Amino acid sequence: MNNLLEVKNLNTSFKIGVGTVQAVRGISFHVGEGESVGIVGESGSGKSVTMLSVMGLLPDYADIRADSILFAGREMTQMTPKQLRAMHGSEIGMIFQDPMTSLNPLFNVENQLTEPLRIHMKMGKTEARQRALELLKQVEIPNPEARLKQYPHELSGGLRQRVMIAIAIACGPKMVIADEPTTALDVTIQSQILELLEHLKNTTKTSIIMITHDLGVIASMCSRIIVMYGGIICEEGSAREIFYEPKHPYTWGLLNSIPKINGNPDEKLIPINGTPPDMLMPPKGCPFAPRCRYCMPVCREYMAPRTQLGETHAVACHLMHPKAPKVEREV
Amino acid sequence: MEKPLIKVRSLKMYFPVGNRLVGRRSVLKAVDDVSFDLYPGETFGLVGESGCGKTTVGRTLVRLYRPTAGQIVFDGTDIAFLSEKEVMPYRRRMQMIFQDPYASLNPRMTVSSIIGEPMKLQGVPPQEIADRVSELVEKVGLKKDHLNRYPHEFSGGQRQRIGIARSLATHPEFIVCDEPISALDVSIQAQVINMLEDLQDQMGMTYLFVSHDLSMVRHISHRVAVMYLGHIVELASAQELYSNMQHPYTKALMSAVPIADPDLAAKSSRIVLQGDVPQPIDPPPGCPFASRCRFCKPFCREQRPEMREISPGHFVACHLI
Repeated sequence: MNNLLEVKNLNTSFKIGVGTVQAVRGISFHVGEGESVGIVGESGSGKSVTMLSVMGLLPDYADIRADSILFAGREMTQMTPKQLRAMHGSEIGMIFQDPMTSLNPLFNVENQLTEPLRIHMKMGKTEARQRALELLKQVEIPNPEARLKQYPHELSGGLRQRVMIAIAIACGPKMVIADEPTTALDVTIQSQILELLEHLKNTTKTSIIMITHDLGVIASMCSRIIVMYGGIICEEGSAREIFYEPKHPYTWGLLNSIPKINGNPDEKLIPINGTPPDMLMPPKGCPFAPRCRYCMPVCREYMAPRTQLGETHAVACHLMHPKAPKVEREV
Repeated sequence: MEKPLIKVRSLKMYFPVGNRLVGRRSVLKAVDDVSFDLYPGETFGLVGESGCGKTTVGRTLVRLYRPTAGQIVFDGTDIAFLSEKEVMPYRRRMQMIFQDPYASLNPRMTVSSIIGEPMKLQGVPPQEIADRVSELVEKVGLKKDHLNRYPHEFSGGQRQRIGIARSLATHPEFIVCDEPISALDVSIQAQVINMLEDLQDQMGMTYLFVSHDLSMVRHISHRVAVMYLGHIVELASAQELYSNMQHPYTKALMSAVPIADPDLAAKSSRIVLQGDVPQPIDPPPGCPFASRCRFCKPFCREQRPEMREISPGHFVACHLI
């Protein structure tokens, strides 16, 4: 499998009145062609900022530094804003969390859906309209002719998200980034949208990056998972490696905080104590050290190096050091 | 069986919608004929999608709304239509924890005045309030030097703890937890859930736990009711409901919950419901779920199914069962 996206040593920080927020601190990852990768983390872990940095969609006061961001063999860090814009919407599609705020309330569905087709694919009005109808059918919107003329406020949350997906896939992108695509939706609508994304993934061979905090969503959708905390990648691996053989205490904590589907309800959950770090003053060492049960003195002083455990499985934790004490996950 | 703490009978909560001057005024039937019992010391889960009326049930029980019809018998007294003044003594005994810890704390009050306010309203002397407030902050895992700070200085999880301390202030017997964890991060959710469980073990309160997070409801609840469009469609003990669900809506809802386990997720099949939840404005007669039900028969659209007990403690409202 060839790599479609390769990010090396990405750092993103924001200068605000009282200092600098270090949202992403030196992360590297890749996404293969046709692969679905999930990025999980809590709010403030840097998962959304990572993808917005890659896309170049952050405001001017963001400071983005990366050794390299390769997309389909081209270096994105060297591109002009114009070149980047040519890629947005054509080669990379995005689906955002809240379809009410990401669709323009002043334009109807047809306007918004044909815009990328006319700009990127240079389609004429009738051709774009035809394609728009096909796209609405593809995302399983009933009665597409009538929907084209409607405005976002006339659509339900689930329908709006389908329109967002139709816009994202309009130009046949190589990669779709879905940032919390189902968080604002009810479970039954969420399952409709997930079903649709899965279907699109299987039929169009598009790579999908799914950003979410919901481990359940990621378990069913993604073949590879990246776990982020405090602006760094603390663990990454295949879905099976992350769910069945997790090695980082934060990943253990995440998995222990959710009730098991067949578990005994009388068993207590094992929470992660404390609160996520303040990225204005991130801890010097491992960002998880202040909340970690297995914290050692070295954890507070130095960031843990990345240890490769298998072909896909890697973890950044000092416990991986041969001289570190052996600890087991509490279950 | 024990005597219920709260008996809810045929509770209805309608809201008028639409323009009062021109056109027709419609009725939004947020809660339409709901009955259930709450037993002392239990956690009763109420699940459903947004707009199903679960929050309205919670708010009506603590009399934040005046119901349209029905009975709310709290410890032997029907409080459904008591006046504000008459309901005051009952307010002490039932409290509420709100969903949004950012919106439910007054930004201009300090933590100690927020937690002390319910007691002030009940006429507790100031010295007693001060003692009780410092006792409460420790109980919910905050520090005493937090007392003079303002809500904006706290994280979401800590604010939810402040809200919980406030709800405990008057020694309530019954607490409505309205989506208490949905605004919190996963790692913080477990902290709050464990705290609610510990507090219940210590003080024996009854919880009405309103949530759309089905796996958390299964974890915390003793009994669970599933709501759809203002009606309870199924009610059973948590164990029975999650292992032997009967109503087609319950089945679809449960199958829609994403499973945090790749192997199980691959094996399980989702029942994907078509369409959206209909609006509860002037709903058609018949079964509320008829428009989305796979097994819908013509009579489902005409006649409303009654709640029937299919095995001890397991109630279902469906014509086909």
